[in-house]
Amino acid sequence: MADAKDILGLPKGAVSSGGDKRRSTKDAQKKPDGVSREVYLLTGGLPPIMPALDPSHLKKKKAADSAKKVTWKWRAFTSSARSDNLQLSHWERIVDNVETTGDYAFAKYNKAVDVVRYTDEEYAKYLNDKSWSKDETDQLFDFCEQFDLRFIIIVDRMPTTRTVEELKERYYSAAKAVLLSRAGTAEEVADHSLLKDTYNVQYETERKKSLGILLSQSRQQEREDAEVLAEAKRITEIRLSNKKAEEAELLSKSAPETTTTTNEPTDKSPRTPARPKSPGQVAEAGPSIAAPVPSAPVASTALTGASPAASGPRPPRMYLRSAYLGQLVQTSTIQAGVRTTKRVEQLLEEYGCRPRVKCPTKRVCDEHMELRKELVALLQLQKQLTWKENEVSVLRENPYADIPTPSTPKRSHRANDHERVTTRATAVGAEIDSFSGERVTKRDHKRKAPARFSDAPPSPPHNKRARKMKASDA
Amino acid sequence: MYGGDEVSAIVLDLGSHSCKAGYAGEDAPKAVLPSWVGSIDAQYLPPEPEQPTKMAVDGENNAAADSKTGRPADAVSKKPTRKLYTGVQAMGYRRDYMEVVPALKDGLINDWEVVESIWDHTLKERLMIDPKEHPMLLAEPSFNTPQHREKVVELMFEKYQIPALFLAKNAVLTSFASGRATSLVVDCGGGSTTVAAVHDGYVLQKAIVRSPIGGEFLTDCMLKTLESRGITIRPRYTFKRKEVRPGEFELQMLDFPNTTESYRTYLKRAVAADVKESVCRVPDVLFEESAYSNIPTTPYELPDGQTIEVGADRFKIPDLMFNPSLVQTIPAMESFAETASSVRGLPQMVIESINKCDVDIRRELFSSILLAGGTAAMQQIKERLEKDLIEEAPQAARVKVLASGNAIERRFSVWIGGSILASLGSFQQMWLSKSEFEEHGASYVHRKCP
Repeated sequence: MADAKDILGLPKGAVSSGGDKRRSTKDAQKKPDGVSREVYLLTGGLPPIMPALDPSHLKKKKAADSAKKVTWKWRAFTSSARSDNLQLSHWERIVDNVETTGDYAFAKYNKAVDVVRYTDEEYAKYLNDKSWSKDETDQLFDFCEQFDLRFIIIVDRMPTTRTVEELKERYYSAAKAVLLSRAGTAEEVADHSLLKDTYNVQYETERKKSLGILLSQSRQQEREDAEVLAEAKRITEIRLSNKKAEEAELLSKSAPETTTTTNEPTDKSPRTPARPKSPGQVAEAGPSIAAPVPSAPVASTALTGASPAASGPRPPRMYLRSAYLGQLVQTSTIQAGVRTTKRVEQLLEEYGCRPRVKCPTKRVCDEHMELRKELVALLQLQKQLTWKENEVSVLRENPYADIPTPSTPKRSHRANDHERVTTRATAVGAEIDSFSGERVTKRDHKRKAPARFSDAPPSPPHNKRARKMKASDA
Repeated sequence: MYGGDEVSAIVLDLGSHSCKAGYAGEDAPKAVLPSWVGSIDAQYLPPEPEQPTKMAVDGENNAAADSKTGRPADAVSKKPTRKLYTGVQAMGYRRDYMEVVPALKDGLINDWEVVESIWDHTLKERLMIDPKEHPMLLAEPSFNTPQHREKVVELMFEKYQIPALFLAKNAVLTSFASGRATSLVVDCGGGSTTVAAVHDGYVLQKAIVRSPIGGEFLTDCMLKTLESRGITIRPRYTFKRKEVRPGEFELQMLDFPNTTESYRTYLKRAVAADVKESVCRVPDVLFEESAYSNIPTTPYELPDGQTIEVGADRFKIPDLMFNPSLVQTIPAMESFAETASSVRGLPQMVIESINKCDVDIRRELFSSILLAGGTAAMQQIKERLEKDLIEEAPQAARVKVLASGNAIERRFSVWIGGSILASLGSFQQMWLSKSEFEEHGASYVHRKCP
């Protein structure tokens, strides 16, 4: 620090007054041994937290090393990789006066490709070609050896203008012919790489041509191409939506008169312009498995006829039918509610159809979706019926009662998904009867008794039935 | 260095602007000297005392100049037609009737005597080695002809008696300097610009594209531009600066009427080259007069003390590389206008060279474009080239221009590549040795150094 002030040219008076004190404190602070004061001050004047290098360790190493005598000597050497006897010299590390022997250390990196060479007789016998003269072939093989089969460079150095493919073809076919002629049997050489992989000239030429075209398009051209493609896509989409609108109109007009069988062609038509191919259409006319045609009334067919054109996700151009079916099922789940869907699936199981369609052909999927929709409709109608019956019963008991709207209890009971209240709806028409006798998951709409039955098996239907009927009868 | 094994080889790179020499294994050449020599024709030399034949002597000149660097006595036996002065010091000294002769013309060796003199000076006086003990790696232009190569080989083995030799192409050495076996090398040198493709360590000769626009050309344009603006560039020997008052100098003109025009131009070019290297920058977009009319100027102080302001010319001169047709707007350069019309800019040259290569390697070439040479050390050249190339190149290819950050490395990248190559262990088998030369002749070089 005194040095610093000295450098800066500050008056030495202040230093000298505290100089003694400082010197003594400095001496006291002079802890390091083996490290000079200035170096020590670089770390801030404090001992390091962790010693970087143990100084005693360094001293030991020097002592150990001096046991071996290591010198460097300028020595001449030869390399087995060279064919002449050129002697170059380099520095060699000599330990304990033992000189290194053996070949040059880098000679092992001298690797070459073994190129097939032919004799003149072999050429005359096997390798005559109309487009290749002997001189040219000789030159080609020379270059192959010199450049280690780097054909791009060989084609650059050959005086004749030939493409890489021609050169490769000539070399590979000639080498193969020579090998085959030399081998006794075919199996001996079958393992040789030349015979295992064949060189396909046409393919290579085609590939290079298309790669060339790809690479020769400049950036501006690419941009223009992209613009044109985007424009084309927009136009096709507009056309598509127009066409679909037309088809939808047609369908809604013609649906009431058609039967279920003709429904399918019309179902198909709005979809086909959008999907030229679909891998799911394995067996269009094939057998539809396990899809009982519902004895549904015409009203429901009209419903299903109109819906594919209007509702659901728009089918993409090419897709897996099973995935698309899953999408449609999803949509209907969202629309109807989780409970309803579960109930629908239960019903499906009862009737022997699997909720997951086994063989999703077009007919099967369509029928399946129809079935689902009808089930949902059924359940909704059942629900409405129960509500009305409840209302009637409540009003009978108490003409001034306040009947909650259907929305409120739904919300309050939404959490009780496990509720199972069995009700019996008998007053609704014939189709409801056909689904009778089973458990129906219903929310309890009775105001008086919010029946929170915990997963108990349903109480025997007839009891409830009796009660309800009593109420309604009365 | 695991792959390295130094055999004390010498790397010698004779370019059209400067000659670089040094030991292999080092990271920069020890000796850098200009590729010109001063030559005084025999008629102006004073007669040698032992000379039997009489020569016409001009009475009134060169008393002081010719006493040094005399040829050894045995050269008197053949009558010297001229005397050559090589090296920075010898050329920096003004001598009457000294012409400046370049060693290379159009990138290839033109005058073998001059080349010999340069090599002599480099090896014996700058590096101070005995050629018999060191193998030599010589860098040659990528488009070198077989005749030139054989002549070099003969000269080296017969005159200098070296033990082993190798001739490597400039583009290959630049590629090795950046650690790549395949790349596209854009060498912006002094005399010309060369774009060459290197594949697997070999130059593709059919894909070399050259342009006469190099560092010297740009220096000429700079000189003409400055002169047309009324600035006189005075060569150093024409004036003396006398200190009139402390810190203030006055110019005193000196007159040397017997100085040759080539020498004067040589020195003026040296000044203009310094101006060019200090102030020039490559513009980001194509240069237009209108866009640059209002930019602030940069000051530069010439050796004689006058300060000049360089404005739009800072950007115009480097843009000549990218847009050669600009040369028509430079005064007094109309003679180049016809040649310039056939010359393309750098990005076009790159694309042309790549398109001449096989389709399979084009992608790789696009993604490793190397910049080398003294002129490539200009500021912003890498960014501008990359930007222009991305515009012109196909979208399927990813364009990447590489240049070392250090200006010294860009300038000496050929030499550095040679230094790396000659110090590799696995290279030592590839030398062309003296015994092979004696056995097979000079044409063996084409086999050994492809």
